[in-house]
Amino acid sequence: MRSRVAATLVLAATLAVAACGGGGGGGAPAPGNGDQPYFDPTIYSSSPGASLAAAGEGGARTHHQMTLRGNTVDYTAVAAHLAARDLTSGADEASIFYVAYTLDNQDAATRPITFFYNGGPGSATVWLHLGSFGPKRLVTGDPGTNAPTPFPLVDNQETLLDISDLVFVDAVGTGYSQAIAPNNNQTFWGVDQDARVFRDFVIRYLTVNGRLASPKFLFGESYGTTRSAVLADMLETAGVQLAGVVLQSSVLNYNSNCGVVTLALGCAGYVPSYGAIGAYFDLANPAPADPVAYAQQLRAFTANTYAPADATYLASHTLPAAGVLNQLQGFTGIAVSLWTTNFNLDPATFQQRLLLGQLIGRYDARVTAPVGSALASQGDPSSTFISGQFTAAIGGYLGNSLQYTNASTYVVGSSAINTWDFSHDQNPLPDTIPDLAAALAQNPNLKVLSLNGYHDLATPFYQTELDLARLGGPGNLTLRFYAGGHMTYLDDVSRPSERADLGSLYQSASVTR
Amino acid sequence: MKQLAVLVAALAFAGAAVAPVGAQSVRTSASVQSPLCDPCVPPALRNTTPAQPTEGAALQSQVEQKLRQSFDAADVRHTGALTREQARAAGLGVVANNFDQIDTAKTGKVTFEDLKRYLRSRGAKF
Repeated sequence: MRSRVAATLVLAATLAVAACGGGGGGGAPAPGNGDQPYFDPTIYSSSPGASLAAAGEGGARTHHQMTLRGNTVDYTAVAAHLAARDLTSGADEASIFYVAYTLDNQDAATRPITFFYNGGPGSATVWLHLGSFGPKRLVTGDPGTNAPTPFPLVDNQETLLDISDLVFVDAVGTGYSQAIAPNNNQTFWGVDQDARVFRDFVIRYLTVNGRLASPKFLFGESYGTTRSAVLADMLETAGVQLAGVVLQSSVLNYNSNCGVVTLALGCAGYVPSYGAIGAYFDLANPAPADPVAYAQQLRAFTANTYAPADATYLASHTLPAAGVLNQLQGFTGIAVSLWTTNFNLDPATFQQRLLLGQLIGRYDARVTAPVGSALASQGDPSSTFISGQFTAAIGGYLGNSLQYTNASTYVVGSSAINTWDFSHDQNPLPDTIPDLAAALAQNPNLKVLSLNGYHDLATPFYQTELDLARLGGPGNLTLRFYAGGHMTYLDDVSRPSERADLGSLYQSASVTR
Repeated sequence: MKQLAVLVAALAFAGAAVAPVGAQSVRTSASVQSPLCDPCVPPALRNTTPAQPTEGAALQSQVEQKLRQSFDAADVRHTGALTREQARAAGLGVVANNFDQIDTAKTGKVTFEDLKRYLRSRGAKF
């Protein structure tokens, strides 16, 4: 199984073609019901210098029906391009590819609309589109690595489509989105530049589709939360009031995450995650009875004991008393000997050292693979297990179910990160808490929902709490925690919980509107 | 990062596009052209000296600075005040859409201080 998965990833492009027959998940529309298939003749490129001569805005429109918790639901899917236009000059900036799902026969003025995007930067929005709250989802078996492949694409009983219309947007240079001359893709590869073109796309989408009055939500994941903070501020300044911002696995401040920047940075933000993961593998001693209470215990230990000791260690390389090292071993399962040599323990080392002979996942630390196996060969078995499957599925789904065909390759991951302009507010790396604060200053009704996985070693939950605490009080902010990794929605237990919390957000945002 | 280098090598097949013979024969396909590492920064940025996190008054002063920058960018004539039309033309909807509530003196122009007073009256902390 594991070697087969690796082969799938390496041959993703080939398999995407072969998987077309199975990618539709039974959702192929019946002919004669007003469906409009679309063959898009444009060839798209994710290269930094790539540029389209002009905007083409054609797209496919298909009608679908699903049974959602006992009710029959009719919806329309549009897979198309729409040009983002400069806010003041009106000039075309980029041709943005999106897939929109709208529930049929609804009042556009009151019906919420949510814009989804993954991050990277340089990632297409395939993970949220096919894994989270869209009308279809891939069955991944997370956190196992023995799910049948190809992952079946099924009607999603946790879709948000009964609550909100859903628009999955690909960033410039990902999916089929590309800059329009005189810009090229690189023009929009920066924190501010990317948020501006998203702002201009959102405004254009709302305008063209008559949705300016709809309650509006943003749903970003990972770098998508960085984007959301900047974008929310820009939209509020432009006069587009948001109802809510959902932050899935946040990295709001690159300057606080020791897994992303230099190891001179304290790793205290990761320690509660190390404890939760140690407990998952039954390595915590004493074994905790309840994950929620345990997380609270870990937060308190980190704030009161580990963080001050780590600050001392970073300043003078002085280790704390043996009792603290013993406590760390008890909480996490990482031996005193490793804490002694790596007191400021970084997540990459934790991934390698928690289990003898095994590598645990970065995105989902509950996923394991033997060192030397194909699944471990790329540094994150949780990512390797699903990447090829999602990549293979999106092409078939767009072509067969959504009837959008294109000869060029839908780019799941571009090279954008290598030349991305990470600078923001005079800092080389973005801190977007001030942007989120500025959005809240302009819109007192804006609700923020932070969703976190206990077993995520990319954006640790406690660091996200510390970052958001800078806003200075709960107010409009809600934080929720689930079993699972970076993509908590892949977990079959956490996804319904997450959907319920999202339901509360949409309800409260519409009440205060 | 070592794992990045391994991924780059493993995924170097990039861009196996299917040649179009005609619309009927085209299959929509996808590929990963670069490794997925989110959040990550390129190696050159990993040793950046991190900026100190702000909170309280320092954070609120950053908020004020952001809003002032947007206001000043819209004030292309550098008069320190904006009409509704000027705000709208500059894409400063937060001013244009709430102009009457911000322009409490009914002068037809609003300053940044007027905007600040308006936002504070609605609960802004800066």
